[in-house]
Amino acid sequence: MPTLLDVKNLKTYYTTLRGYVKAVDGVSFAIEKGEAMGLVGESGCGKTTVILSILKILPPEGRILDGNVFFKGVDLVKLSEKEMRDKIRWKGISLVFQGAMNALNPVYKVGDQIAEAIRTHEPNVSKKEALERGRKLFELVGLDPDRINSYPHEFSGGMKQRAVIAMALACNPDLLIADEPATALDVIIQAQVLQLIKQLRKTLHLSMILITHDLSIVAESCDKLAVMYAGKIVEYGDLATIFKEPLHPYTQALIKAFPDVRAERSPLVSIPGSPPDLLFPPSGCRFNPRCPYSMDICSKKEPVPIEVKSKMHQVACHLIGKR
Amino acid sequence: MGLKGYILKRTMYSVVLVFCVLTVNFIIFNLMPGDPIAQYILSPESRLTPEDVETLRKIYGIDLPYHERYFVYLRNMLTFNLGKTQVTRVPVVEEISKRLGNTVLLMTTAIVTSITLGTLIGTFAAYKRATKTDTAIVTSSLILGSLPVFWIGILMLFIFAVYLKWFPFGGSVPKWWAYTPPTSPLEIIAGRLYCVTLPALTLVIFSVDNWTLLTRACVLQTITEDYVVTARAKGLPERRVLLKHVLKPASLPLVTAMALSFAGIFTGAMITETVFSYEGMGHWIYMAIMEKNLPVMYAVFYISGLLVVIANFIVDLVYGMIDPRIKVGR
Repeated sequence: MPTLLDVKNLKTYYTTLRGYVKAVDGVSFAIEKGEAMGLVGESGCGKTTVILSILKILPPEGRILDGNVFFKGVDLVKLSEKEMRDKIRWKGISLVFQGAMNALNPVYKVGDQIAEAIRTHEPNVSKKEALERGRKLFELVGLDPDRINSYPHEFSGGMKQRAVIAMALACNPDLLIADEPATALDVIIQAQVLQLIKQLRKTLHLSMILITHDLSIVAESCDKLAVMYAGKIVEYGDLATIFKEPLHPYTQALIKAFPDVRAERSPLVSIPGSPPDLLFPPSGCRFNPRCPYSMDICSKKEPVPIEVKSKMHQVACHLIGKR
Repeated sequence: MGLKGYILKRTMYSVVLVFCVLTVNFIIFNLMPGDPIAQYILSPESRLTPEDVETLRKIYGIDLPYHERYFVYLRNMLTFNLGKTQVTRVPVVEEISKRLGNTVLLMTTAIVTSITLGTLIGTFAAYKRATKTDTAIVTSSLILGSLPVFWIGILMLFIFAVYLKWFPFGGSVPKWWAYTPPTSPLEIIAGRLYCVTLPALTLVIFSVDNWTLLTRACVLQTITEDYVVTARAKGLPERRVLLKHVLKPASLPLVTAMALSFAGIFTGAMITETVFSYEGMGHWIYMAIMEKNLPVMYAVFYISGLLVVIANFIVDLVYGMIDPRIKVGR
């Protein structure tokens, strides 16, 4: 059986008046059935562009220039718009997009939006049946089924997030992509939502990509981790391995920037500098201007991902290449 | 507060507004230079004695103090007791009933066409944002929008009436109806359309740029929202995404603009009707101002004000229907 999702050397650029923004520049990763991967990186590093590319719902100025996205063995990059609509979107891959606040259309009832998803893919389901399924989904995510006829503004942030997750599950997708599922929620609701996602994953055997800038969320709910910096994946592999021994200086810095509740209190270390302009990324390794271990070669040659020790840990860094 | 309370509140606002319109009209016309009776004295065939003038002043109630005149005026307006025209002595109500239908036909045709076209073109431009199509649409809208309406009217006459001879030069009904009145309803509709097309087209050209640019701006604001990305990810066809998930939330400012623009289109209609000698309210008020026909001016300003207030009232209700958040709030 082929890998569920296999992204190979994906390149997505945005055309602007000043040139190409290299938002995703040669990204590769793979997800097996039932697996969950965390995709972590700063704001603006191209995380969201990766998923928009996978679903091929990029804004008109964005284009996939190169690479393949194999989903159950089919290359999505080559599929037509109609095939994407009919077979892939929501049925194969569904999306919980950037927090709860805005993913539901404010002028339609929540139930109708869920029913719309169901009836788009199963046209012979009546509206009543679709709403009935919506009620079941509401129960599944811990919402009162009688609230199905409410408008989004009548929900709290946490409820909206649950409703969006219910909608994402409406067509029994194989892969759930959650883009910043817990931002804009307070910590307790955040924990509840993550708990819900974890539990759903177990009961429904879902595969998942979890996009976030919060490492602690990934640590709690994923098997795999991909760290993205300036349009490239700098470190990729098994979650526990990376957490135990982060090899890329950026990953190390990211982990240091989060407090450890069990350790003694120590000042958090932030990463100096700011993310690079993706119109004109730094030459060589894109992290080199901010990297404490930067060497000559770093600004000249781009590091290629190297497999370290096991197959399940790749790093793109010259420091590792030398060893 | 439910829908009932909302409607009640909007009704109260509308009533207050009508009073404001009436009051402002009263003030404006009383500030106008010249005594209303002066016309009778000035006309060459007049042989009025000062006593006659006094009698006339009594008849018209101009001898009363301003506040009393104001209340008489209010009562007459609210009961639609609009008097007779100053020169031809025809009841104003009778004249209005002849013309209001024509204006309503012209404006409805123009507004419906203009909004439909403008919304579709604007949405399309936003969808094609930052492409040549978009630039072309925006540029031509700006050019169209800066044309004066009387000039568009003359241009339309020149092209379609003089050169192509497709449509008549003017009038609100075909000239031959005077000799052979129409018999079937189909004939009436065809004749009406024949006459209303050019003025309506003029008004559409005059107002469509507004809708196009406004729709484009509103849609651009909405098209990047998360729920639009979600709608696309759900596998909806692009047209459905645009018309259902983008246009409806984006249409709120449009609906407001509709109400506000009603007055502007009315003004445009006034000029257009004059250009096409179309027998409507606009043409009539133009004539009334020219001859300083006070009863007509009072009536037309009152009724057009009333129409604008009613349009706003309807739009407020539609607002509540489009956006569920408005019903419950406040």
